[in-house]
Amino acid sequence: MDALLTKNKKSITSTAEPKKQISGSEALLRCLVAEGVDTMFGYPGGAIMPVYDALYSYSDHLNHILVRHEQGAIHAAQGYARVSGKVGVAMATSGPGAANLVTGLADALIDSTPVVCITGQVAEHLLGTDAFQEMDVINTTLPVTKWNVQISKAGDIAEQVAKAFYIARSGRPGPVVIDITKNAQFEMIDDFEYEVCKSVRTYSPQPILDHTKLEEAADLINVAKRPYILCGQGVLLSHAQDELLAVAEKANIPIASTLLGLSAVPVNHPLYVGYLGMHGNYGPNILTNECDVLIAVGMRFDDRVTGNVNKYAKQAKIIHIELDKAEINKIIPADVAVHADAKEALTALLPLITKSNHHDWFQKFREAERKEYEKVIQFDIYPVTESIKMSEVVFELAEQTKGEAILVTDVGQHQMVASRYYPFKHPRTNVTSGGAGTMGFALPAAIGAALAQPEKQVVAIIGDGGFQMTVQELGTIMQYNIPVKIIILNNNFLGMVRQWQQLFFESRYSFTEMQNPDFIKLSEAYKIPALKVEQRSRLNAAIHNLLNIPGPFLLEVVVEKEQNVFPMVPTGAGVAEILLEAHGTRQK
Amino acid sequence: MKRDYTIEVAADNNFSVLNRIINVLNRRRVRIKQLVAHEDEHDFRKGGATMLLHTTPELIEKVKHQLEKLIEVESANFYEGSEVYLELSVKNNQKVA
Repeated sequence: MDALLTKNKKSITSTAEPKKQISGSEALLRCLVAEGVDTMFGYPGGAIMPVYDALYSYSDHLNHILVRHEQGAIHAAQGYARVSGKVGVAMATSGPGAANLVTGLADALIDSTPVVCITGQVAEHLLGTDAFQEMDVINTTLPVTKWNVQISKAGDIAEQVAKAFYIARSGRPGPVVIDITKNAQFEMIDDFEYEVCKSVRTYSPQPILDHTKLEEAADLINVAKRPYILCGQGVLLSHAQDELLAVAEKANIPIASTLLGLSAVPVNHPLYVGYLGMHGNYGPNILTNECDVLIAVGMRFDDRVTGNVNKYAKQAKIIHIELDKAEINKIIPADVAVHADAKEALTALLPLITKSNHHDWFQKFREAERKEYEKVIQFDIYPVTESIKMSEVVFELAEQTKGEAILVTDVGQHQMVASRYYPFKHPRTNVTSGGAGTMGFALPAAIGAALAQPEKQVVAIIGDGGFQMTVQELGTIMQYNIPVKIIILNNNFLGMVRQWQQLFFESRYSFTEMQNPDFIKLSEAYKIPALKVEQRSRLNAAIHNLLNIPGPFLLEVVVEKEQNVFPMVPTGAGVAEILLEAHGTRQK
Repeated sequence: MKRDYTIEVAADNNFSVLNRIINVLNRRRVRIKQLVAHEDEHDFRKGGATMLLHTTPELIEKVKHQLEKLIEVESANFYEGSEVYLELSVKNNQKVA
């Protein structure tokens, strides 16, 4: 694939040929090819038509996937980026087209996903005149992008696109919007040359590592009796999985993961103790308040991880290794702040730490795990209820895929259950909407994930609510025969909101019960084979079919209507106050 | 305890850079008492803003880093009190005049 791209790149950027005039639109596409883009997601419209016209001649170089809604385009680009590590590309027209990208931009910003979005804009002379489909894209997307830029001259395209890709992928990655006026797309230029951007005057994505901070960190770690590593997505983004494990193995430190950090450490690794946060594992939460040195790597102390910050790890010395300086001391003050790339910092930290053994400390995690198993896990995976539980579906999927699949989840109860029970084995196999909590993320993100890693099985687990938010992307799956395996966990409820209503709003189920369409007929209308399971005895075979029938497949599993996800750190409570069951709250 | 701070932001003079700076302050609900924005007298591609803010010592530190996180912002330095603001705003006004 790489060789093919290089060949393509040469054939269209060769300077040996005599220079001929090209349009701004073609210049844009040449930039994308030069950046190594091979797949992009988009939806045409008036103000981006010149680019789409140029794209007609570029189908050998750029695989453009026509989505059914611009939100689908950006989520697909996010899924592509999260799995491949490359910059995802989405394209939309002006006005409503660009506006439909906003949710995905916010999602990509908070979840540090490198995405470049190209939006068409009305011609320069119409800017600010309330022209048809004109919207102030720069100011609309300003708070939800790492950077954005409007281009109104074809001659600026190469420089600004290079800058956009550099900013999107460097430092803490994020989304960038390039808004190109229609006149710039039409304008002819004769001196197109593409140069990859290597620096921006006002932007320093790679901090200089302060070794004295690492020595301070090592001093704390070397005397710690109960050290504890929290692994965030920064570990995956900097490809520091091996370095993290090397440090943890040398000093014998337990590792817990945030939602987006999942898959950085294999779940079956002996040092891995579980998943953090509101619906995370019991031990990793309560023992946060018993560790003596807490080493947070590439994570930002989200409120879903910390619970009440006034009750968070007050006893511990905090070492925070983080690339984004604005995240250091933002939520939890650091005793030792290491402003650095995770890989660089962990590599330099390794020789400074001494070998150690924390057997008794690990024992505490095992005791907590046993307690969680007895109170929660055994009933989740081997239920005695008549109806199917979400957790046993994930458990069965885990058994049949052996943790080898790329798991794409939406937002809600099913997401928490999947994060708790799927045994991630390889980096970048967990794709989910974390910080933004965007329902409707999974279906289009799975499309992007499947195109990024065609040799891997991509399974999207989605609730009945979230599925209907971007259901139109079944059309995209049909058109390109994208082998996404879809599991709808259908409880006819917006389950997580219902759970909160039950626990904290006196079971007043205000607008959370849903009347759903026939998902099987809907899927069949899109020519996607589908199966509905309502009985436990058929679950095993149904998942087997899902995974083994070639191409896309939709499996609807009717699950227990009112299953609650536990453990749970209630809002306002500290991590050590995590509940294993609904004691003390008012049950229906 | 809230108090006055002067913050001096140096940035690229792009369209929308002032909006980006103000956005950071708005999101954090930091009160802006006065503001002077300017273009560099020697290089129109550079510019900046000097602001008199009223906020807490904890938040001014966080706001500084969030401003410096903006791609176009080169630096954001703050000083306690309003004296520096008066000095800097007069200096920048004189440059324009």
